[in-house]
Amino acid sequence: MSIRNTYFFVFLLLIGCIRDEKRNSAELLYWSSNNGGEIEFSKWVVQKWNAKANTKIRYQPIPEGQTSEEILLAAVVAGTTPDIYSNIWQGAVEFYRVSDVLVALDTLEGFKQFIESRCDSATISEITASDGHIYQFPWKINPIMTIFNKGIFQELDLKIPPITYSKYIEAAARFKKDTDNDGYVDQWFGNTSVKLAWHQRLFNFYPLYLASSGGMPLIKDGKANFNNEHGIGAFRFLQTMYKENYFSRQNSAAGQDLFVGQKYATKFTGPWEIQYLERFKQEGFTYDFYQIPVPDDHVGPAYTYCDPKNIVIFATCKNPQKAFDFIKTMVDEEADLQFLKFTNQLPRRKNMEDNAGFVEFFDLNPKMKAFLEQAKYVRGVSNCEVMTEVLDIISQEYEACVLYQLKTPEQAISDAEKAVNVILRVDS
Amino acid sequence: MNLGPKKFLLYAILIIASLTFLYPFYWMILASVTPEENIGKLVFSPQGLTLSHYKDMIVKIPIWSALFNSVLVASLSTFGVLVFGSMTGYALAKMRFKGRNLLFFAIIFTMTLPFQITLIPNYILMVNFKWVDTLTALIVPALNSAFAILLFRQAFMTIPDDLIHAAKVDGCGELRIIFQVLWPNIIPSIITVAILTFMTSWNDVLWPLIVIREEGLMTMPQLVTLFAVGGRAEAQLGVKLASAVLLALPIIIAFIFLQKYFIQSMASSGIKT
Amino acid sequence: MPFLIVSPYLIHLCLFVLFPVVFSIFLVFHKWNIISPMEYVGLDNFGRLFADRLFWKSLWNTFIFILVHIPLQIILSLMLAYFINSKIKFKSFFRSAFFLPVVISGVVITILWQQLYGLESGVINQGLMAIGLGRIEWLTNPKIAMVSIAIMATWKNMGLYVILFLVGLQTVPQSYYEAAEVEGANDWQKFRFITLPAINPTIFMVVILSTIGGFSLFIEPYIMTDGGPLNTTLSAMLYIYKQAFGYYHMGYSTTLSLFFALIIMSVVVIQKAFVESKEY
Repeated sequence: MSIRNTYFFVFLLLIGCIRDEKRNSAELLYWSSNNGGEIEFSKWVVQKWNAKANTKIRYQPIPEGQTSEEILLAAVVAGTTPDIYSNIWQGAVEFYRVSDVLVALDTLEGFKQFIESRCDSATISEITASDGHIYQFPWKINPIMTIFNKGIFQELDLKIPPITYSKYIEAAARFKKDTDNDGYVDQWFGNTSVKLAWHQRLFNFYPLYLASSGGMPLIKDGKANFNNEHGIGAFRFLQTMYKENYFSRQNSAAGQDLFVGQKYATKFTGPWEIQYLERFKQEGFTYDFYQIPVPDDHVGPAYTYCDPKNIVIFATCKNPQKAFDFIKTMVDEEADLQFLKFTNQLPRRKNMEDNAGFVEFFDLNPKMKAFLEQAKYVRGVSNCEVMTEVLDIISQEYEACVLYQLKTPEQAISDAEKAVNVILRVDS
Repeated sequence: MNLGPKKFLLYAILIIASLTFLYPFYWMILASVTPEENIGKLVFSPQGLTLSHYKDMIVKIPIWSALFNSVLVASLSTFGVLVFGSMTGYALAKMRFKGRNLLFFAIIFTMTLPFQITLIPNYILMVNFKWVDTLTALIVPALNSAFAILLFRQAFMTIPDDLIHAAKVDGCGELRIIFQVLWPNIIPSIITVAILTFMTSWNDVLWPLIVIREEGLMTMPQLVTLFAVGGRAEAQLGVKLASAVLLALPIIIAFIFLQKYFIQSMASSGIKT
Repeated sequence: MPFLIVSPYLIHLCLFVLFPVVFSIFLVFHKWNIISPMEYVGLDNFGRLFADRLFWKSLWNTFIFILVHIPLQIILSLMLAYFINSKIKFKSFFRSAFFLPVVISGVVITILWQQLYGLESGVINQGLMAIGLGRIEWLTNPKIAMVSIAIMATWKNMGLYVILFLVGLQTVPQSYYEAAEVEGANDWQKFRFITLPAINPTIFMVVILSTIGGFSLFIEPYIMTDGGPLNTTLSAMLYIYKQAFGYYHMGYSTTLSLFFALIIMSVVVIQKAFVESKEY
């Protein structure tokens, strides 16, 4: 090998290393979430757009990772963000706003009229940042409810689903069983993730807290707002479930889905579960949804968390006005209906009940009606720059108190409150 | 041959031990072709046969491009380590120059330095070079290895100077001497370095997790890891195991054919450290 | 000419080793998430480190892992090597069988063992139940989870250490054993007084190798437990990864790395010094 060959090798190396796809600057890059239904929807809407617009959209689902929030943050840090991202968690937007990486949408032409025609004022005020600008376009929600196995409820003679804590616990005690007599319980009344990742608390603790408290926020006026009967009650309820082994402590990702396997009678989940179950359920498996359980003395509607996901335009986008035009196409009536059909997730638009196309969908999909009803009583998350860290702290206490019963609910909630107030003070 | 009780016990222990090492792989491969609802029942005998996990997995994740990336990254890193490692090793063994001892010391220092120190600053470097989400970030930092340099240095030191002088008389340049005259004499060292570098690169997952977020550019272990912990497998076990089998297969096959070299290389890497 | 030949390495060294080390020391005094401007914070990161209970816990967990892993590794792999080294057939088959997990990616091993460790459907617990023993909460019991990971790691690396011990065992001259037999020594005495002293250097090598390996414990808890239950499998490396690439606390995570690396280096230096003092 001569010197020349060595240089040739180095040259080859460089060629091999150059990014395989050079980004065409006239194009806009759009990332969607990476679940099956949304990928189908995104392909459909991009095709529709590209068929007539001259600024083409290049589409790609967000890369796989532990959470999409983690991937997005990595992209922001590395400067590899897309122009448009359609699945941002509402709780993360404030952090990006502070970091100056988002386009203020209300500075774009026609934004105000458009959003007012689609969303009610409550939604608009929920997504307005503390500086008065709007950085996210409200797109879709997935209210969290209790799913139940109809067959099991029939066997347990539960004509009305157990809505209060004590009824739920009583039903759970009746269902817990060791069916094969090996000395271990092998069917549980319910299940919810035992993983520590912060976002898991949005699907167990937080909906219970919202249901109990009538929709109170976790953070209010820059301070923790959950050290009250509702927070403690939710912890105690969940703690009972694990202490008595009514909920399984198995990590669901480690094994197979035991709700599909009819070993769990209920779980807390969103409408996405319908499509999933239709694909994987066994013959004769029937199910339905009802509200999140509430304390025995609860009055008024049961609120829940709705897992709002929105659309943002990153500041790296060269043509935000065009990007906004694409967003308008993504959420027009036809697209919203398609989205609903593809994904079973609710578009965040008002007056769906009065629109013939949507009414027809809900008539054909009666299970989705429960979510439509529930959508009147939903909450997102507080506008807080360190929301993920807040939920991380709650997760730590949740594990110690709820899963392993090392702390009383009072102690755990109060410890969480203190820790949250510390980081809120640090960051303000 | 008659087996005494002692010999019998010896064989029994060794056979049980080998089963402990082989059975999990048997289970994994079998589970990856077992229908989802039967995987829980699987112990020894097959519980039905299906290829659907493989079909689903190939649709869900770009496993073939990940395989290609892994092969590309591992081959280029190995090639780089072999070329640059023997150049530096040769200079240290056979050339005299100012700062040679300093360089040698630097290499020893690099070897004792835990990788934990350089991990985060190197990531920041990648961000600044705009190498995040490019294969460059995986290849370029892996082009040199202190271990390989020391191994080549040792190998070259055993070669008599006369051979080099003779080649110089024939008008060979230094690079020709290294790659045409000396390389054929140190084949075992080359094989060791090649196997170790290739395997390190093939199995590395921490660094790709940090610098690659674009699916089309991920390496195979990274993609399989994220598939295992992420949501795309939709809590289905079979597809995860299928992806794990595909990740293990190339190395299992290579190992079956090259056992001797694998074992020798890895043993020597242990002894030299 | 010599400089031309070593230049690829020199450039590489400066860029990916020396510069990062220097830059680390600089970062330690700053707060930075890459997106926003860097902020000088003096010694704040160290103050935070010493008050960070989770970091100390992760260090402790890493030590637990190493303390379980090393003795287990040495006893089992020495035992297997000793058996293989006796006069038996199929030596190379046994050697290769033990070695297979060594070459396979830790990712595969972890995904596989996560299933083997399953509470109900896991093969190990099914086996325990079949022979009338109770099942074990391998990955959900906070007292056991780290031990489970250590067992898996021992299983994965065993083949390598079996080979290293075999190399060591083969250096013991056969004549020693023959002489001992003449003296009437039994198997245990032969092992204790001939084999063990001869392979002492190999044992120390195994200790050092598995210590360094143990300190980098990452992908196993990352895939299997994400640090849970109750943070008992949160290894130092996993915690640093989370600080660095979960929150982008670059200054703080660099401080943690630097501190952790110093611990690793001191442990290894102490071990090596101990070995050298024994050798003379």
